[in-house]
Amino acid sequence: MFKNLIYTAAGFTLLLTSCTEDVMDHINRDEANPPASAVSAKFMVTDAINSTAISTWGGGYAWFTASFTEQIFGTGNNQLMQAELRMRSQTASSSTFNNEWNATYANLNNINQIIAKTSPGGLNEGQLDLRGIANTLWVLNFEALTDLHGDIPYTEALNEAITSPALQSQESIYTDLQARIDQAIADLTQAKAKGLNNASAQDLLFHGDANSWLGLANAVKARLLLNTSFRNPAVYPQVIEAAEAALAAGFKGAQLTIFNGVDCDNSWTAFQWSRYYSGSCETVVDLMTDRSDPRLPAYAVNVYAAVPYAPAGDQELATATETVGFPAWLDNGAAPLHLFSLSELHFILAEAKARTGADPTANFAAAVEASFADYATATESPEIADAATDYIASLGTPTLQEIMVQKYLAQTRDEQIQTYTDLRRCRAMGETHITLRNPNNTIGGVNQWPLRLPYGNSDVISNPNVATAFGTGNDAGNYLFTEPIWLFGGTR
Amino acid sequence: MRKIFAMLLAVVTSASLWAQSNRQVTGTVIFAADGEPLIGATVMPVGSGNGVTTDLDGNFSISLPESVKKITVSYVGMTTVQADVTSTPMIIKMQAADYQLDEVVVTALGMKRERKGLGYAVQDLKADDLNTDGTTSLASAMQGKLTGVEIRPSSGAPGASNQIIIRGARSFTGNNAPLYVVDGMPVESTPDFSTGASVTGANIADRSIDINPEDIESVNVLKGQAASALYGIRASNGVIVITTKRGKLNASKPTITISTNISGETVSRKFERQTVYAQGASLTAYSPTASTSWGPRIDALPDDPRYGGNSQGHPGMYRNPKLEAAGLDGWTTPEVFDNVGRFFNTGITENTNVGIVQRTDRASYSFGASNSYQKGIVPSTGMNRWGVRGLTDWEIHPQWKTGFSANYSSTKITSAPGANSGIMNVVYSAPAEYDLKGIPTHAPGDPSKQILFRSVSFNNPYWWADNNEFLQHTDRFFGNSYVEFAPSLPEDFSLTIREQAGIDSYTSNYSTLKEVGSADDSGGLIENYGVQRRVFNNLVTANFNARFTDFDFDAMLGNEINNNTARIWDYTGRNFNFYGMPTMANATSFQSSEYNRETRNVGFFGSVGLSWRSTLFLTITGRNDYVSTMPRGHRSFFYPSASAGFVASELPAVKGAMPWLSFAKFRVSYAQVGQAGEYYANYYTTPSYGGGFYSYSPVSYPIAGVSSFIPSSTFYDPNLRPQNTENVEMGIDLYLFSNRLRLEYTASYQNITDQIFAVPTAGSMGYTEKLTNAGKMRTWAHEASATMAVLQHKDYDLNVGVNFTAVNNRVVELAPGVESIFLGGFVEPQVRAQAGNTYPNLYGVAFKRDAATGKLLLSQGLPQGTADSQDLGNASPDFVMGFNLGGRYRRVNLSSTWSYQHGGRMYHGTNLVLNYFGATKESLPYHEGTMVAEGIDEATGQPNTVEVSRQLYYQLYNNITEAGIYDTSFLKLRDVTLTYALPRIGGLDASIFGFARNVLIWSKLPNFDPEASQGNSNMGGYFERFSIPNTSSYGGGLKLTF
Repeated sequence: MFKNLIYTAAGFTLLLTSCTEDVMDHINRDEANPPASAVSAKFMVTDAINSTAISTWGGGYAWFTASFTEQIFGTGNNQLMQAELRMRSQTASSSTFNNEWNATYANLNNINQIIAKTSPGGLNEGQLDLRGIANTLWVLNFEALTDLHGDIPYTEALNEAITSPALQSQESIYTDLQARIDQAIADLTQAKAKGLNNASAQDLLFHGDANSWLGLANAVKARLLLNTSFRNPAVYPQVIEAAEAALAAGFKGAQLTIFNGVDCDNSWTAFQWSRYYSGSCETVVDLMTDRSDPRLPAYAVNVYAAVPYAPAGDQELATATETVGFPAWLDNGAAPLHLFSLSELHFILAEAKARTGADPTANFAAAVEASFADYATATESPEIADAATDYIASLGTPTLQEIMVQKYLAQTRDEQIQTYTDLRRCRAMGETHITLRNPNNTIGGVNQWPLRLPYGNSDVISNPNVATAFGTGNDAGNYLFTEPIWLFGGTR
Repeated sequence: MRKIFAMLLAVVTSASLWAQSNRQVTGTVIFAADGEPLIGATVMPVGSGNGVTTDLDGNFSISLPESVKKITVSYVGMTTVQADVTSTPMIIKMQAADYQLDEVVVTALGMKRERKGLGYAVQDLKADDLNTDGTTSLASAMQGKLTGVEIRPSSGAPGASNQIIIRGARSFTGNNAPLYVVDGMPVESTPDFSTGASVTGANIADRSIDINPEDIESVNVLKGQAASALYGIRASNGVIVITTKRGKLNASKPTITISTNISGETVSRKFERQTVYAQGASLTAYSPTASTSWGPRIDALPDDPRYGGNSQGHPGMYRNPKLEAAGLDGWTTPEVFDNVGRFFNTGITENTNVGIVQRTDRASYSFGASNSYQKGIVPSTGMNRWGVRGLTDWEIHPQWKTGFSANYSSTKITSAPGANSGIMNVVYSAPAEYDLKGIPTHAPGDPSKQILFRSVSFNNPYWWADNNEFLQHTDRFFGNSYVEFAPSLPEDFSLTIREQAGIDSYTSNYSTLKEVGSADDSGGLIENYGVQRRVFNNLVTANFNARFTDFDFDAMLGNEINNNTARIWDYTGRNFNFYGMPTMANATSFQSSEYNRETRNVGFFGSVGLSWRSTLFLTITGRNDYVSTMPRGHRSFFYPSASAGFVASELPAVKGAMPWLSFAKFRVSYAQVGQAGEYYANYYTTPSYGGGFYSYSPVSYPIAGVSSFIPSSTFYDPNLRPQNTENVEMGIDLYLFSNRLRLEYTASYQNITDQIFAVPTAGSMGYTEKLTNAGKMRTWAHEASATMAVLQHKDYDLNVGVNFTAVNNRVVELAPGVESIFLGGFVEPQVRAQAGNTYPNLYGVAFKRDAATGKLLLSQGLPQGTADSQDLGNASPDFVMGFNLGGRYRRVNLSSTWSYQHGGRMYHGTNLVLNYFGATKESLPYHEGTMVAEGIDEATGQPNTVEVSRQLYYQLYNNITEAGIYDTSFLKLRDVTLTYALPRIGGLDASIFGFARNVLIWSKLPNFDPEASQGNSNMGGYFERFSIPNTSSYGGGLKLTF
């Protein structure tokens, strides 16, 4: 009796005890998320592009640097107020740009895996168009990181075996980025010749068109070279060559147009609708007023019937909520988001030509016209585009200063990160084309205008190499206000 | 109903034989402590017949049929006694109700052990010990009663989650909640969804809310790992073993209990704002859009240059454009409104329970139905829970037993959001001169256009209550059925084989509704999400016992299978066509997701115990678990435990020499228990945008029919090992003076290694976290309790209990290079685990301080924050104490429970922001004038001499997180209950009672109750920002037993 019972119990147990490794593996499978081996590169390219525009060039980096460049007035009594008042607990905090830092490296991880998948031995070997796209995006993302932070993890980054990637010099990063963009151009040229279009509908920017990507890759190359002009004053002919190559490929600007303002909003508008921290700044208003600029009504909208725009650094208005007006495009969720605008490419050409004694007039006019068209689209005000010709005529022969002022006004739309780089570059070259007026830029004789941005908190906390560079205690982040990045005369 | 009842009776009652002659039985009932007779004690025959009561000398005489072999004797405040009928006069000795000796307690897996032999601490609460009146939650009913157990409520809102942590946390970011076992079956108790970083949204209830505290007969808390080791991997956080009510004593007829209580709730501590200064950003100008109250004096509003009426033909008045927006006359006279007080309702909590229990020779059953209804203090919030339960144990044959336990509950909760999507910030910061309740919440004719004194990036709380909703609804069934076989063995040997299968199955539906015009998702949103979970649990055990002359031996073997399947869904519709119909049908854009998840645990276990002359007890256990959620090749793990108890008072030498020593035991135990991780093979995932500054998700895939996959931001370590908790526990129990003074002390040391957690990685790795083994925690817990029967008399008694718990839960190390990890919060401040600190700690921007003097380092006379976040102190308290004071005089019983917490810190965002806003009374001295702050000037290194505006100083000071860190010491009266037991009328026992709960007596935290915070996760209790406040309740009730 007793024996039988034991046997029965044991049998019963065994029957139910499905705990072999195979059964357990089956139970623990993840039905919603595919393994790496199941995903083709084209599915990864989609977000590689979108994230570059939304998280890196159109995200928090832009929202804050816009206050530093005075293209936007930080208001709403919170983080942007603190940035507007140049409080270091915001401008020098590693928390401030942590999301963008992490998102950009995560996107680079994706991009890195696209490159691996499309390289020899990879799942999508031979898809040179995708590799060219990925390398172009690689450069765009790392350019943003190094221009903003200086030395950053590069060669040792994106490797799950290295938990504390070393910082690498900006100089060597720039050298590699230039080689990468040349590789991208080579791949895209080949892809174009072969008629490859592996991304097609998965590419929400150019529908996989290799030629359009070739244009963007050349534009990116032109900007990379321009950024080195302090270190290499003889670079302008190369800048012109690359920019012309972009135009030759039919470059019409790279802007994400997936937004509809209903269930898909561009990042600037989504930020505004979430927080209302961005206001119109007097620095821009005065530049526009001086020129009777037809873009002014779109820039400083008196949204609250209170204060249409604020003087940079105004403490009371920075602290206020729902008081300072803001640009009309921030209320348009469908406004396109730039990866690289046509006007920027023409401004690059105009600047390079002006500096080398060539005639910048045509490119200057094309740049301003492109900006007007962009303002018109983003604010759904076609009359702005119509006013371009007269306005350009009113500006006369472009000087270098006017080129930079017009570039500043054009990039007020959504390209503030590059304005921040240009301001620092010109400052390094001893030029001041735009006079910054925020009184908080110097407090008690100490510079409070960041010459670069703090690293992301994740690296400051988890990567001793970055932690050391960033500093601790009362010294944490002080170098941001004293040391320019290597490109602009610093050592790191 | 009556039919079912009759059937039950028929099943369980053996046929009575009436044709028997009666005999007369006599006896005396005395109080054991002093031998005094007990007058009015009830003597009832077991089986059939009517009872009698004792006379003035404690004597009774009762005529009983021959079939009746036992009587039960009961008396208020005493433990009911059942005794065999004798032909000679009987002497019945009764003990005070809290008197326990040679008691049997339920340990792991339903094993019953003599309390005195256990090698580890256990603590149990009987139904009478639980403060169930005026609450709907078990956690709240246990507060202040247990040592080594921390119970952190999230708020006083209906259905608010509680964090229960036994002897400190073991996991940095994972589950630290104990396992709940109801009638031998593990049940889910953790929340379905975590509140994540806990900075937006409403609290999500934990699933222990489905357990009605009134259904509970006893709660046994297995704290140490040695006590819980047999439950395996899920029990490393301790076990709460719940036994539901059942028939206790043989009785001829069922006992029916009807109880009800009702209470009113008010805010336990109401925020009193300043009522001197009006809305505005500076003293010189009234601003009808500002979030702050730094404006001019309210009585000076008519003088305001822009809005004042004195200069605009409306003397004594001022103009508020928000009134005009609401279609009213904008000109109004300055007046002060109590916006906070008028916002809160008086809450209501009602509990009604009906129970029937009976036990006969061969069977017992119990049936219960209950309803708990709560109306929250915040408009539109509440809870309604219905429950039905049944339980049967039946001895079908001398060797065979069977039974079942079944519980059904339906819990509906509506709650309000906190923190940044909350409404409390608006209520608290509403300027005193703004009539928040009186001014319409929306523009005339346009209900989707909100009107509020400030920016409508926050909802008007009244508009919110009228339009928006967060609903949680769970339908749940759990229960089990068993069969037990105990073959006839020679005397002194016994064997019991038991098979028990159970199910815990529930569906939770959550719904978030935001009407058109809401602060975020202004186009309207309906999000329906939920989980359907089914847990199957099968348990087979074989228990063997043998008694020899000097030794007792027992052994147990068993197997447990736990299989958990869940379907999780989320359907979201956005952008309604029009206001007034917040349903899926009215939405114009949709998103959906569905996910199925299964997990399985299989455990084999055994234990061997040996005892010698009731003096020395030894137990050794072992369990091997196989867990599906670990990587291949790392799924099997074994955990041992050993415990020993030495009852010194049983030694003959001690017995003779120390008669005052009733009981003395030394105990020691060692155990290891693991925790498994949630491992997946590395995967790709569809990216999403949201979080950070976004209050909604601006971009989501698929975009125009195109989707994307990217590498997951979490990297999973394929060599993941189980986390290990090693525990050594030592303790001593001393009962003195006939057990009237009982002292217990336990020290427990836990060494937690190979922590499994998502190690935050350097973002430059391309991943933000890596799930791996890293980090160590060490915990010392000291628990002491003293209970004393100060007075013991048949007519009165007085009992005092004090308990003390100090837990030091130290984070020894994290992963290499990782200094601290995020548990919850904003970009800044946060709750973190940081190496070298106790767990958890607060983290955020600190004041820049002069290194030499520690004084504030001022710039231009103003305080500055550090550029980066820093450790702002340990959150967990130094120690907590509970006091239980109770007494009885004849039929009147008074019991009270007090809690004292010493030390600990929390981030109190509400105080901080309201200071920054100039809304607190504390801000009053800073609204006007200038000051020279004490501190060191950063530029010169000399003491500061710069004069600054007081307002600017106070705002900048309260813009730094460190200013919002507060000590959480407090003293509370958790519960005081006064009960009057009415004299027995016929067969009816009735008692009435009145009670008060959660009365905050004193707290270091200004303005608010420290027991209200954000989140249902490990950060809960330490991070507050516009949380729903805690409540005090006052009520009464009635209990009828017949």
